[in-house]
Amino acid sequence: MSTALEQIEQEIAKLSSKAVKKNTGNIRTVADGVAKIDGLSDVMYNEMVQFPGGAIGIALNLEEDEVGCVVLGDVSLLKEGDEVTTTGKLLSVPVGKALLGRTVDALGKPVDGKGPIDSKETYPVEKIAPGIIVRKSVSQPLFTGIMAIDSMIPIGRGQRELIIGDRGTGKTTITIDTIINQAKINKVGLASGDKNFRPVYSIYVAVGQKQSNIVRTISALEDAGALEFTIIVAAPAADNPANQYLAPYSGAAMGEWFMENGMDALIVYDDLSKHAVAYRQISLILKRPSGREAYPGDVFYLHSRLLERAARLDGKGSLTALPIIETLAGDVSAYIPTNVISITDGQIFLETDLFNQGIRPAVSVGLSVSRVGSAAQIKATKQVGGKLKGELAQFRELAAFAQFGSDLDAKTKAQLDRGGRIVELFKQPAFAPLPIELQVAVLFAMQKGLFESVDIKRTVEAATSLKAFFTTRKDALLAEIRTKAALDKDLEAKLQAACDEWKPTFTA
Amino acid sequence: MASHAKIAQQFARQLFKMSVLDGAVSADRVEGVLAYVEKHNPANPVMVLKAYQRLIAAEFAKGVALVEHAGPINDAMLSAIASSMTRKYGRNVTATAKPNRELLAGIRVHIGDDIYESSLAGQLAALAEAL
Repeated sequence: MSTALEQIEQEIAKLSSKAVKKNTGNIRTVADGVAKIDGLSDVMYNEMVQFPGGAIGIALNLEEDEVGCVVLGDVSLLKEGDEVTTTGKLLSVPVGKALLGRTVDALGKPVDGKGPIDSKETYPVEKIAPGIIVRKSVSQPLFTGIMAIDSMIPIGRGQRELIIGDRGTGKTTITIDTIINQAKINKVGLASGDKNFRPVYSIYVAVGQKQSNIVRTISALEDAGALEFTIIVAAPAADNPANQYLAPYSGAAMGEWFMENGMDALIVYDDLSKHAVAYRQISLILKRPSGREAYPGDVFYLHSRLLERAARLDGKGSLTALPIIETLAGDVSAYIPTNVISITDGQIFLETDLFNQGIRPAVSVGLSVSRVGSAAQIKATKQVGGKLKGELAQFRELAAFAQFGSDLDAKTKAQLDRGGRIVELFKQPAFAPLPIELQVAVLFAMQKGLFESVDIKRTVEAATSLKAFFTTRKDALLAEIRTKAALDKDLEAKLQAACDEWKPTFTA
Repeated sequence: MASHAKIAQQFARQLFKMSVLDGAVSADRVEGVLAYVEKHNPANPVMVLKAYQRLIAAEFAKGVALVEHAGPINDAMLSAIASSMTRKYGRNVTATAKPNRELLAGIRVHIGDDIYESSLAGQLAALAEAL
């Protein structure tokens, strides 16, 4: 009781008798979530403005005698002539570990019905990306748990890797797998008591998606036990475009908190195509000049300033970004895809044809690239999977050639066989990421020709059996690979012995 | 292509610039501008004149400090406010009083887009927001 009284007294003391200056304006028009305001002569770009009834807005268009604001909140309560005041503040969202396991909207307000979020800090939604001096090159791996990616298109902490493909090719699944894998690694790492272990916290930003899809994603994360390490920022398709435009920046602010406080975070933007569409809608309503495909001139800056906020900071943490772009009929040369391809440090391209052939994840190895490359790979993966990309490229070339004739020499047949087996080996079910040590073991077995006696169609079966063998019976060996992160002669011998032990258990 | 409203707004802005003499709106010039509009009848005259009126009204509001007050206020206080605002804004400001019982106590001064709040009602609202 006395604390409450003290609080009130402190508030009263703060309110000095000095006059408080406010800058005001009046609504001239409100339409489609955008208000045009007369006055507000002191308003700054991106400043938060206060509407009557608790709604807030952001000043986006500063013109000679009117201000264009996007309204965040219920527009139906606003009318012509209503007074609007400046706040002198930039839009901020709550940040911190209190948000983990929660689903919030673009303003950081909980929407999951689990009660209020006890967050002590806020970060501005728009922030200038870290400069050159404070950055450090990407050299620590971020394991996705997807063998095709971890072995051939490695992602590092602080990298921006685009996931691009047509609808229904498994883009979201790859990101959910990655989030689940981070949670699995976190659990093992935190349980081990290793002081040098750095957990990766995840932020999943859903922009313009159906509510049912968001619920499905949340359930998948919950079922896998990954929600406790994840923040979901939801701006579904039914939300107004202003919220959809803001959501990725809000997510980035939440991720930056982890990065600034010496932790590692992963952020997924699902997806930036819909984000660009929301921004186009706002820009057209604000009557900004439109350019190619009716997008405004600063649509590149829209995404570059967002993705530049992902970084690895010297002496602090990192923020890894996995933006998603949806293409139409595999057209990667469209406006938004080319923009985001040029901003990011590589892309994972998913192909519909591969997906329909049953190759899942449908990663097109030829078109996918990680510009960070092997700098973000552990030595063990490099040792067993260093040549895989080249071998697969050769396989594809030969496979295309082999379509024209049936007479092939033994060497070509062997290469085709091996390529076919690698493709089969990389097939992986959804929401089942593989720990890196198990990936190393499987790839080691493949390099040593363990699957060559197995019929190609049964390669997946053989690999599953090998994985089960290692997980159930060679736990110590897997732990050794995990801690050493490189294969020395002793470890190679142990792996070979384990493979030899497994071979008779699987009947080809 | 610019919309009718935008063209009217631009034209009104030109007319407004012509109405200002030595940093203040001149009644003679406004009269001249209105005569010009009447004679030449530009496109969308109502739209142009409404935008022009809005600009002139906003300019006038910058030169008048509207002092809302709950209790009594004397001429000396009004002239003190006027001279203080004249100094602050660097232009001639006159003060007019408007009683407002909802303020409970104190005053609220409107000048242009700015509001100087020094009333009990304003402080209570700030307190309510802070809590």
